[in-house]
Amino acid sequence: MDFFANLFAGFQTALSLHNVYLCFIGCLFGTMVGVLPGIGPLAGISLLIPATYGIDATGAIIMLAGIYYGAMYGGSTTSILMNIPGESASVMTCVDGYQMTLKGRGGAALFISAWGSFIGGNLSVLGLMILAPLLAAFATRFGPPEIFAVLVLAFLLLGSLGTGSFFKTMPMILLGMFLGTIGMDPLTGTLRFTHEIRDLYDGIGFVPVAMGAFGIGEILSSTERSLVRLIHKVKFRQLLPTRQELRASVGPILRGSGLGFVIGLLPGSAHVLSSFVSYAVEKKMAKNPEEFGTGRIEGVAGPETANNSATGGAMIPFLGIGIPTGPATAVMMVALMIHGIRPGPLFISEQPQIFWGLIASMYIGNFILLILNLPLVGIFLNLLRVPFRILFPLILLICLVGTYSVSSSTFDLIVLLGSGVLGYIFRKLNYDLAPFILALIIGPLMEYSFRQSLMRSAGSFSIFWSNPITLTLFGGSCLLFIWNLISSLRPTKSTWKKALEEG
Amino acid sequence: MKKEHTAGLIFLLVGIYGLIYSSQLPLGKWNEPGPGVFPMILAILLVLSGALTMVARIKEEKVKEKASWREFLRPLITPSQIFLLTIAFILSLERIGYLASSLLYLLILFIWVCRYRLPLAMGMAAGFGLGSWYLFVKILGVQLPLTVTALGL
Repeated sequence: MDFFANLFAGFQTALSLHNVYLCFIGCLFGTMVGVLPGIGPLAGISLLIPATYGIDATGAIIMLAGIYYGAMYGGSTTSILMNIPGESASVMTCVDGYQMTLKGRGGAALFISAWGSFIGGNLSVLGLMILAPLLAAFATRFGPPEIFAVLVLAFLLLGSLGTGSFFKTMPMILLGMFLGTIGMDPLTGTLRFTHEIRDLYDGIGFVPVAMGAFGIGEILSSTERSLVRLIHKVKFRQLLPTRQELRASVGPILRGSGLGFVIGLLPGSAHVLSSFVSYAVEKKMAKNPEEFGTGRIEGVAGPETANNSATGGAMIPFLGIGIPTGPATAVMMVALMIHGIRPGPLFISEQPQIFWGLIASMYIGNFILLILNLPLVGIFLNLLRVPFRILFPLILLICLVGTYSVSSSTFDLIVLLGSGVLGYIFRKLNYDLAPFILALIIGPLMEYSFRQSLMRSAGSFSIFWSNPITLTLFGGSCLLFIWNLISSLRPTKSTWKKALEEG
Repeated sequence: MKKEHTAGLIFLLVGIYGLIYSSQLPLGKWNEPGPGVFPMILAILLVLSGALTMVARIKEEKVKEKASWREFLRPLITPSQIFLLTIAFILSLERIGYLASSLLYLLILFIWVCRYRLPLAMGMAAGFGLGSWYLFVKILGVQLPLTVTALGL
């Protein structure tokens, strides 16, 4: 009964005029962010954080979550109509989506993509509202050693499942964690790596680093190249899919919902991974897999559903135990912390109006997005007509003002620019920045739990394997590390080929 | 220098910096780990991964061995212009106020980087500068430096 009473109360919160308005703004901004290549959900959320200062925590998280899942909807539009992924999770949609556009079925691809996103999004919210409270109840048994073990496993999973290789991701995680140690030590008050710079006493701000690495870094790297954009127009009546297309998309949508939700629970680039896995599964299950890449509706329905479904899954560790598994959820956590609320195992029981209000708003948001992404698709495509050389100075200015408004400090602007340069360099070097940001945000929690565990055990490391939970988690971490080590040492097919050719 | 070498060098240098400075922090004992322990562990791991990245060349990348300096520097021109202008904006923000600094910043960006003609650049800079000021200060209530302190106003 509690469950339905809570959900009812959540809808009462979410359906207030103010919160519906914030949800709409979040979804609208999220769709714009998704449509525009180069600005991902993370940059979008970071940009709107300053706008949440004047509103309550419930309204703030409703709006920011709207950007998060709204970007997943918007990303498919440019993938299908222009062969340009609006954000990284829509890369797979380009393969068959654009081919459908060339065949004159772009409208149907957009419809199925939005419909699949709607189904996947709603099913994942259902999973979120059932699983997050259960996980939170289980996580109340977690002490510092368990949290440390979870984080070690999370970082190793991040390294294994990230977009780059394990040995490219791990140094980025270490770099992020190292930057996270700058500032005052929370246990002893000792200043670390501050070099008597007052602005560093509180550590390096997450917002300027995230905005700089993703926002400014992307602008710097985009100004190196120019994009020639060919926009295919879609009329409203062309949006309707045929009966055959509808029938063919039912299976991929249902499978994509399940796959996306489960993969969303994992740390790392869950959205990207879920769409890749979904595409691979659909191709494997198809009667004629060779037709994939030529404009199959299954190649659009599966990945698009999966990347939307992953958003609900990704919210579970963040809301249930306070451990974000991706940079976007990590920045949302920072936004909640700015409002004086820290997600953790007690978050759902102590702040039910925020949690259930958010859940209800996600149902409302999915409905708003369905309307925004079908009849109004043409309006968003017009955004792409704005030349990049007008758009980027504006984005730069918004990043600068957004950062300044957090702390009114020009030092944070320097951090923003420095992070932008860092982001630009690592982009050029083909290193993924998401693990770096995530490690910067949750690294301090890892250090805190590590030191507290050792204090509790009087310096004995056996605390990390003395109970079944930590033993299982560390066992999993060891296996994962060994597996990564072996797979990186094993010669690849191309190495064998090269060796055979040479010898 | 190959991409892996550059990345490895960055990790190595950060790691060495971390090692030097964390060794100056109290390390404590295992029953009460000091503030230097965790950064030192991270620094050691960074040094190791930096060295490994440089030596192992995880993935061979095809880089033009004899790319000319001009070819290397050309793509860096626009990002460098943006970087310099942004530095100038940051330094001037609290001295001449948001309105003046944003107008100048946008104007120079539109002329120097985006190559718009002066009248159009002035119009766009004025529109976006004033628009952003109205949005952030008047609507969102963001506190921005608005006085021209350099002139004592």
